[in-house]
Amino acid sequence: MNLTSDRYQSFYQITIYLCGFLLFMEWLMPLDVIGEFNNISIFYIYAAFCFFISFIQINWMISVPLKLVGLLFILDGLFIGERIFSSGWFTIVYDQILYNIQVIQSQQWWEMTPMFRSLLFLILLWLMSYLLFYWFIIAKRMLVFVVLTILYVTVVDTFTVYDGKWAIIRTFILAMVSLGLAHFYKEMEKESISVKSLKFTYRWVVPLVGMVILSSVLGFASPKLTPQWPDPVPYLTSANPGAGSGDGPGNGPVQKVGYGENDSRLGGGFIQDDTPVFRAMSQDEQYWRVESKDAYTGKGWEDTLDDETSDVTSQDLEFSTFTDDVETEERISFLDFTGEADFNKLIYPYGVGSISRFSQDEFSENLSFQLHDNTGEIDTFESGDPVQLEEYVVDYNMPSFEYSQLREADEEDPEEIVEQYTQLPDNLPNRVVNLGSQIVEGEDNRYDRAKAVEAYFAANDFEYETEDVEVPEGNEDYVDQFLFETQLGYCDNFSTSMVVLLRSQDIPARWVKGFTGGELTQETASVEDQNLNVYEVTSGNAHSWVEVYFPEVGWVPFEPTQGFANNADFYTEVEQSDDGETSAEQDSETEDTEENNNENPNQAQQQEEAESDQAAAGAGDDNNWTPIWITSALLIFLAAILFFVRHRLMAAYLRRQIRKKPGRDTFERAYIFLLKVFEKRKMKRHANQTLRDFANQVDARYQSSDMRQLTYHYERMLYRNEQGLEQMSKVTELWENLIKKALS
Amino acid sequence: MSSQTVLYQPKISEVLRNINKVIIGKDEEALLSIVALLAKGHVLLEDVPGVGKTMLVRTLAKSLDCDFKRIQFTPDLLPSDVTGVSIYNPKTLEFEFRSGPILGNIVLADEINRTSPKTQSSLLEGMEETSITVEGEAVPLKKPFFVMATQNPIEYEGTYPLPEAQLDRFLLKLKMGYPSAKQEMEMLNRTSRTHPIHEVQAVLSREELVALQDKVEEVYVDSTVTRYIVDLVRGTRNDEGVYLGVSPRGSIALMKAAKAYAFIRDRDYVLPDDIKYLAPFVLSHRMILTSEAKFEGSSAEDIIAGVLSKLSVPVQRNVSE
Repeated sequence: MNLTSDRYQSFYQITIYLCGFLLFMEWLMPLDVIGEFNNISIFYIYAAFCFFISFIQINWMISVPLKLVGLLFILDGLFIGERIFSSGWFTIVYDQILYNIQVIQSQQWWEMTPMFRSLLFLILLWLMSYLLFYWFIIAKRMLVFVVLTILYVTVVDTFTVYDGKWAIIRTFILAMVSLGLAHFYKEMEKESISVKSLKFTYRWVVPLVGMVILSSVLGFASPKLTPQWPDPVPYLTSANPGAGSGDGPGNGPVQKVGYGENDSRLGGGFIQDDTPVFRAMSQDEQYWRVESKDAYTGKGWEDTLDDETSDVTSQDLEFSTFTDDVETEERISFLDFTGEADFNKLIYPYGVGSISRFSQDEFSENLSFQLHDNTGEIDTFESGDPVQLEEYVVDYNMPSFEYSQLREADEEDPEEIVEQYTQLPDNLPNRVVNLGSQIVEGEDNRYDRAKAVEAYFAANDFEYETEDVEVPEGNEDYVDQFLFETQLGYCDNFSTSMVVLLRSQDIPARWVKGFTGGELTQETASVEDQNLNVYEVTSGNAHSWVEVYFPEVGWVPFEPTQGFANNADFYTEVEQSDDGETSAEQDSETEDTEENNNENPNQAQQQEEAESDQAAAGAGDDNNWTPIWITSALLIFLAAILFFVRHRLMAAYLRRQIRKKPGRDTFERAYIFLLKVFEKRKMKRHANQTLRDFANQVDARYQSSDMRQLTYHYERMLYRNEQGLEQMSKVTELWENLIKKALS
Repeated sequence: MSSQTVLYQPKISEVLRNINKVIIGKDEEALLSIVALLAKGHVLLEDVPGVGKTMLVRTLAKSLDCDFKRIQFTPDLLPSDVTGVSIYNPKTLEFEFRSGPILGNIVLADEINRTSPKTQSSLLEGMEETSITVEGEAVPLKKPFFVMATQNPIEYEGTYPLPEAQLDRFLLKLKMGYPSAKQEMEMLNRTSRTHPIHEVQAVLSREELVALQDKVEEVYVDSTVTRYIVDLVRGTRNDEGVYLGVSPRGSIALMKAAKAYAFIRDRDYVLPDDIKYLAPFVLSHRMILTSEAKFEGSSAEDIIAGVLSKLSVPVQRNVSE
């Protein structure tokens, strides 16, 4: 029997320790990916060596030198060219030691030589081998290490480029096997069961293995939730050019940023991207419109309008954002798309009329245009497939809006406009609406109200920021977060907030996407006796702004974003103006904003929208994590407190119950609970012990007769099947005395 | 248990006090004898001669104002010596039935294992039934009817050990044991002049005793407790040291004894404590151990203690249902 017992013991120990070693390997593996190790396998081997030496438990007089020799051997092989133990070898080692001691003394840790760092790492492996041996074999406590390993793998997987998908599965399997075996072994020890044959072991091991396989397969195959928070890896890799393949935007792990289709979840910082989209030749800098969106969800924008589309021709695009009452000026612009951009929508200025080819040729016959009537998106197709026009000329009528026309426009909006463009989510916080009415208070017409909202951001020190921008979590509203918490953001924040504030005051407004005018290059182009400026528009010029509806005028663009100027033209008709100041005032205002724009040319370049959700949230700044950590810490803390006071809570609850509903059930629960509390206080009633016996034991300890009295009543209830308890108040008193004693 | 002030049923308390005047240090045996008496069962006293077996029975009989009979079993004893015989009366020219000692209230069957099985069975029949058959006629036994049989476990020469099936007829098996030195000295002091048994007065009439016996039957046994009894008895059947476990008759006996014990303790309901206390006395003579267990030196009492230690006491309602 001893023989099989020994065999069993060693089988157990080898398996457990092997599991420990493999778990430890999971700690080393990511280092290959995220660290600076060139020869990680050597460290694996050394770790295995140390684990083996620890396991066979030879005298330290032998094991320590063995491990030391292994250590020197590795360092020699990796860093020292000289023959081992030659004079040159010693010189190098001596120099190294001297240098690193100096470094340590001056606390310049980063100056340590690779050799010294490797030495420290090898010593760590050595210590770990001993520690794990102690944990796994001697203390038989592996849960802590298992949990730490799983945490480590998840953290490394989350914050670095290391893919822990398989590592977590391996860890899980190893954890289950080792914990299962350890439990088995502990049970055997506790119950002092001797192993009569190994057959008995299989009865435990086979179901264990079955369970592990089953649960791993189930866990692997079952559907999982998508990540509940943004993946911080792209941000970390981009912040650390050495780590990722940072060979240019669009190629590395960083998501391509620029004009995006999906605006359903706005927020988060982004990384600058100067990939050119097109070059525009035009007289003035102007905004390039692409489309608008109508429905704000609380997190971003959706397009809920029925996708009414109409086929249009290049000669007449049939799209206008304003009425014929608006003064216009004929203009022409040339757009030249660079090879890299892939944009199958027309990019057009306000007042677009027709487009044509740069050269005299006509567009191919297969080319068709599809206009989304409500959003103004114009898709280009060639033979039914989306296509990007390489270049085109836009003829357009640049609008100029007259102040008095805007101010005096009646506010009778068509019903469909009101319905579509004043809609807001039901859960929009009230304070947003209140703020809206506060801002427009005192303004008597729609234009001034819109202006007031537009000016609100500048007046209240909202800051333009692209990187450190939060994504609203949980139920948080995107606009609410920006207006009241962060006051920090980029065009999406400003424009969305303005639309929402206006809508809250029942002013129809919509959110428009496109590009800003771009950067003026040194070139000029002379086309048809016009001298045109050349602007380069990049992904970074992607932008969003606001259009407000004015009856009789149409949609008028506004620009709430800090550091941007509204390129739309406004004027005062001199004849109609009684007061010349307005004009002067307006002029100076325009100058101011232009100046402002010039002051921040670089900042202006950074305007862009994230291509996808992932990149939108790519900034994954620390602030996003703080609430998670704080919440989890609080929850854990709370759970811990609850755990420690759970008996008191339960006692308080039962005390109330017993007073409120005195009866057999409450009494039984209270009595059984009392037994449980006694058990926690090292006064366990053994299963074979009668209540009376136990009561004597308790009373002997507390020098009283309370427990015997209480037990007497309980016995009558239980064994005499007494329905009503005549002396319930007495019972309650006894119970309260006892529970007080037990809990103190 | 003894450290605690124990409450007894008042009448029983008097009987016990009476016995205590005569027999020293045998409170437990006296109490258990009354348990058997009230449960309408019988007792087998197993011990060496001279430790007070007979004295216990006699005192008990005297305190109870009951008819006391004694049968000294010898190898040549005949069944008719136990049951009685019909004798021809020349005066009346008729056979007259002269009743044997079995027709007493309290019968002491001394050294029951010394007589032949035939004679033994004449007594044992009466113990199980309420009547005996003499010459083809059923003769009813007296009420109360209580047999205390003794046997000497040391001298086996020329004895007829009772078979298991007949041991089963006894509700309890008791051992007297020697008194302690102090008790023995006290005993000598008391018996130096006259034996205290002569001063014993009856404290309980026959009718009162029968009434008490009827009251015992009304003691309540909860289903949690019956479950405990059944689990205990079944435990003895499954124990690996047991060749033949306790029969269902044993379960009934245990419950009856427990009821009587609870009654004596002035309770009208049975506790698991009662079961635990009585189990060795009620069950130990109802099982046969394997020869391995005997060889290892374990007794039936050890086995019962083992089963009890593994058995959970019911402390909650519905758990056992």
